Order: sequence, then structure tokens, then C-alpha cells
Amino acid sequence: MSLFARRRVAVLSLVAVTTLALAACKAPGSNDNSSSTNKGGPIKIALVDAQSGQLSSLGAWELKGAKLAVTEWNKTGGINGRQIQLDVFDDQGDPTVGTTVARKIAAEGYIAMIGTAESAVTIAMAPTLQQAGIPNITSGQSPGLVAVKSPFLFLNGPTSTTYDETLAKYIVETKGIRSIALITNNGSFGKGEHDAFTKALSTRGVTPVADQIVTTDQKDFSAALTTIRQKNPQLIFLGAEEVESGLIVKQARSLGITVPFAGAAPQGTPVFADTAGVANIEGTIVSSPYLSNDVNDATKKFAAAYKAAYGEEAELHGAKAYDGAQIVFTALKNSNVATGKALADAIRATKHKGLLGDFAFDDTGVGIFATSIGTITNGKLVAVSS
Amino acid sequence: MQVFFQTFIGGVSLGAIYALVALGFSLVYRTMGLVNFAHGNVVMIGAYLASTFYLSVRLPFALAMVVAIVVTGIVGVIIERVLRPLENKDFDLMLIGTIGFGIVLEALAIIIWGATGRAVPSPVPAAPLSIVGIRVRTYDLMVLAIAAAATILLVLFLQRTKRGAAMQAVAMDHEAATAVGIHVGRSNAIAFVIGAALAALAGGLVGPLLYVSPSMGGSLGIKGFAGAILGGFGSIPGAIVGGVAIGVLDSFTAGHFQGYSELVTFLVFTVIIMVRPTGLFGERTVNRA
Repeated sequence: MSLFARRRVAVLSLVAVTTLALAACKAPGSNDNSSSTNKGGPIKIALVDAQSGQLSSLGAWELKGAKLAVTEWNKTGGINGRQIQLDVFDDQGDPTVGTTVARKIAAEGYIAMIGTAESAVTIAMAPTLQQAGIPNITSGQSPGLVAVKSPFLFLNGPTSTTYDETLAKYIVETKGIRSIALITNNGSFGKGEHDAFTKALSTRGVTPVADQIVTTDQKDFSAALTTIRQKNPQLIFLGAEEVESGLIVKQARSLGITVPFAGAAPQGTPVFADTAGVANIEGTIVSSPYLSNDVNDATKKFAAAYKAAYGEEAELHGAKAYDGAQIVFTALKNSNVATGKALADAIRATKHKGLLGDFAFDDTGVGIFATSIGTITNGKLVAVSS
Repeated sequence: MQVFFQTFIGGVSLGAIYALVALGFSLVYRTMGLVNFAHGNVVMIGAYLASTFYLSVRLPFALAMVVAIVVTGIVGVIIERVLRPLENKDFDLMLIGTIGFGIVLEALAIIIWGATGRAVPSPVPAAPLSIVGIRVRTYDLMVLAIAAAATILLVLFLQRTKRGAAMQAVAMDHEAATAVGIHVGRSNAIAFVIGAALAALAGGLVGPLLYVSPSMGGSLGIKGFAGAILGGFGSIPGAIVGGVAIGVLDSFTAGHFQGYSELVTFLVFTVIIMVRPTGLFGERTVNRA
């Protein structure tokens, strides 16, 4: 009997290990024509993003944006007569899978990487990419990305510090709101948001009335939200990804919390709106470098091309990936398809007039330092008149 | 005090879902001695089917649930059919087989519905009830009522019907059951079908509470499994109590330990299991290995 019991334990642990191993083995690459070097043939660029899992909507947008840039360049003859080959790798939004992918793209001779959309995954991949000399332009925005101090890591948007500084300035100085509660998750993005926003508040002499931390996988927020409700804040700052943010807002409304929420990029997305319910997000204050498709001629043109290619409205993440891809391709062109450190230097030297604004990279790999404020009005993100 | 009760209520409503998931785990285990590792993914399939019939086909929510339960039940039949040649022969291969099925189901969901997932609006749009400052969502009450009804039906089936009694007999001793003319294979198939139907019920109900995506089976499956173990694996009341307990525990650790809640939940779980290895209702656990 005990022998059997022991055997079962052994079997169960074997099963658990196998499951983990299988999950790790899910081959992330989708195209496998490696062996082409940098000397001729197409220029191999890797796009790494979550194509499955809770964060896969981000990955889908990124892919669409980057693909649009690739198509544009290839149509006009590519770079120095060479076509761009964009291969997609699925990191599942998981840092462990990300490191496996990093080794894979290094081994298969990709010269640059676009992605990922998750700060945690990008940070996990950074050492391998730095070692292999592969420049990487990420859509992450956590200040943790800058802290990695990799000369091969670039951001295609502002960091949380910029997002939250702009947001805090608007909330505290323009709106005069000083009673603010925080709910953020303990992931890389959430932690970055938490620290950046708290800092931006404290420079204005504001201390949050409540500071609730949730996990990235949490489903029930009753405890955190009830604590917040008792403090009766005028506004709640939200630092979590799209789906989780949506669930938090939905549950907050059902708990009778009526004050507006405020946050950065995730709160401007359709996934956030769908998860929370459109009626629940009315009045949400969003800090974003890309409030709408109608900002200027470039964004209108991008939105039209996006709509024509995919039949849906363009949004921030697609625009960021598009900008990021444009910067990498411009650098490749300027450097006559350099690789490694020379390419990284070329990216740093690239001045790009993008959809998000004018990029000029500093030593930390950040190229843009401004966001705008919008509020969700009648279900749509509208820029506030300043 | 208000925080305490509100946390408790939040925990109970998700706990009811975990209880349904735990029931499915326990039912298959007590009948076949098998842990169905695909169960979490069956929940996910149920959630997708229910949301598809509700949102895309535009059936009323209740009808969409019924259709989802039937279709998911058929998925259960298929899993059992494929695994049947291994029954009572190679237990380890069967376990691996269920894991394989889990991966297949997740891949299938990605092929059919895409990787991104979808949000399901609540079918009960009524405003939450407010009882002395405690807010209770009407949908949560509905979930609790349905979970309770499903449990009662299941217990009645197992105790009052001939088939149910036959399943109990197979659970106790499958060789003796065969000797008195009980079809063991059929009894196992019924266990799988009911397990899958319970999974679909849980999945369909959890859709409007959470977000339906191909990977949602993972955390629901683990919490449900933990609930089943906590209550005493194989025990029907154990699954209910265990599932709700995990939900409530999760809510309270979230309130007190915030970012470390998951860690604390499973630490507490481990301690309880160390003190009472057979779970809360463990004396009735069936062991067929």
C-alpha cells in the first residue's frame, strides 16, 4: 500500500516535471530557414511577443504594426536592395520562455529584434541579447528596462516615469485632485507604474490614501477595493495590464465605487474597455503618447494603412511597434546593414519623426519623453484641451 | 468589519466556481482512481462554448449554458473513449494521456477562437444589492444558487439512482463490481461525462466574472485541484468545502499579503495538508492504485 502511495507520488512529480518541460519545449519559432548569414539574401529580423496567453492581444497588435512597416520597406525595394524577413516568435508573455527565444534568435543569426511588449520578458532576454550583440527595440515602458543598462536595449516609447509624471501633473495641478488611491500589480509593469506614480505624487506633496498591491494572476479584488472604498478617494490610479485593469474596474463598479480611474497605456485599449464594460470606464484619465489616430497627417496615414491591411482601427501598441520597426530599418539603411555594436550605435544616432513624436535617443535607450492626457468620453479616448 | 465581509463574499463567489471544478476532479478520481489533468482545459473549452453560443449565436445565457454543457460532455466522452484501452492496465500512461489531452484542447481553442480571448458581459445586468454596506452582485448569487443545485443533483444521482450506485460500487472495488455485472467502462464514461459537464458549468459561469482565454484553464485547474485535495480527494462534500475554502483563503491572503498572496495561499494549503494528509473529509477517500 505505502509502496503504491510512494509510487504515485513519484508518478505525480514526474507528471509535474513533464508538464513544465513540455511547456518549455513548445517551440516558439514559426519559421526555420536559418543558416542565411548577413552577407546576402533577406535581412533577418525577429519579432518576439506573446502570441498566446493573457497578454497575446498586445502581441497581435505589435505584430500588425511591425508587419506594416516591413511591407512598406519591402515594397520600395527593401534596404540596400535586400528584402526584410520578419519572423515571429511566441514568448507566451513568460520571461522563462523569453530567455529560450533569446538564445534561439542568437543561434539563428537574426541581426535585430522587435519586441517584446512585456517589460519582464524583455528584461529577462536582455543579458543574452547583449552578449550576442543583437539590438532590441521593446514596447515595454518599465523604468526597470533602463536599469538593465544594456547598450543594445532601446524603447519605442516613453518610460512609466514620463507617463506618470504627465499624469500626476494633470491630476494634481490641473484638476486639483489630492485624495488618490493606488492599485497596482506586482509584475514588472505594475511595479514600474507604482514607483513612478508614487514618486511623481510625492514631488507634489501628495501621499496616496491607499496603496494596494495585487498579483498579476489575481481574479478577486474585493479586499483591495473595499479597503480603497473606505478611504473614499477622489480618484484611483491603476497600474496593471489590460485584462486585469478591466477586471479591477468591473469589480470596483459592482462594489459601488464610482470615482474615475487613471492610468497609462493599458487603459486606452479596446481590451480594457471590453473587459471592464464600456459604461464602467467613462471618465477614465489616460496618459498616452498616442491618444488617437487623428493627431496629424502621419498618424492618419498610418491608421488608414492599418485599417486597409487588417480591417480594424489602429491603436497605441501597433503604432509603437511601427515606430520601433521604422527606427531599426532606418538605422540599418544609414549604417549600410551593420550588425552588433555598430547597428546599436546607428539606432542610437537615428533621429526619427514617428507617430508618437520625435525620437532622439539618449544613452539609456529612451528616445521620447512626452505623453498627452486624454479622458474616455462616450467610450472613446478624447484628448483634453490644455 | 466591512472589509472582512466584503472579502468573504468575493471569496465565496469565486470559491463556488472552484468547488465545481473540484467536484469534476473528485468525481473522476473516486470512480477511476485517475487525476484528470486535462480538467482545467475542459473548463476553458466549456467557457468558450458558452460564450460563443451566448455572444455569437445570441442564444439566451441559460440556453447557451445547456448547449455548452452538452457539447463539453461529448468532449468528456471522447477523452474517456481514447483512454479506455489503458484502464486498469497502465495508470501512468493514462495520467500522461490526460496531460496530452489538456495540451491538445488548448491548441484547439487557439485554432478555433484565436489566442487573444474575449470578455463576456454579465447576463444579469441588475445593480448589486447593498446589505448594510456590503455589496452583493446579483450574478454571484446566481452562481451560488446554480452551484448548490448542481451539487444536490449530483448527490441525488449518486445515492438514489441505480447507475449512481453502480458508480459507487466501481469506486469501491472494480473487480467485484465487474463480477456482479456492472459495466465498469460505462461507469467510467459516465464519470467523465459528468466531470466534463461540471467543468462546462464552471467555465460558463466564470466567463462573465473573468476573461475567457485559451490559457484560463491553468489557474482555475490548479485552484480547483487544490480545493479537491484540501477537502479530501474523491469526497463530494470535501470538494465543495475545499473549493469554497480555497476561494475564501485566496481572497483573505490577497487582502493581507497583497503581492505575496499566492505564496501565502499555497503555504497555508501545504500546512493543512501536512497536518491532515487526507484532507478535511479524508476518511472517505477512495484509493485504487
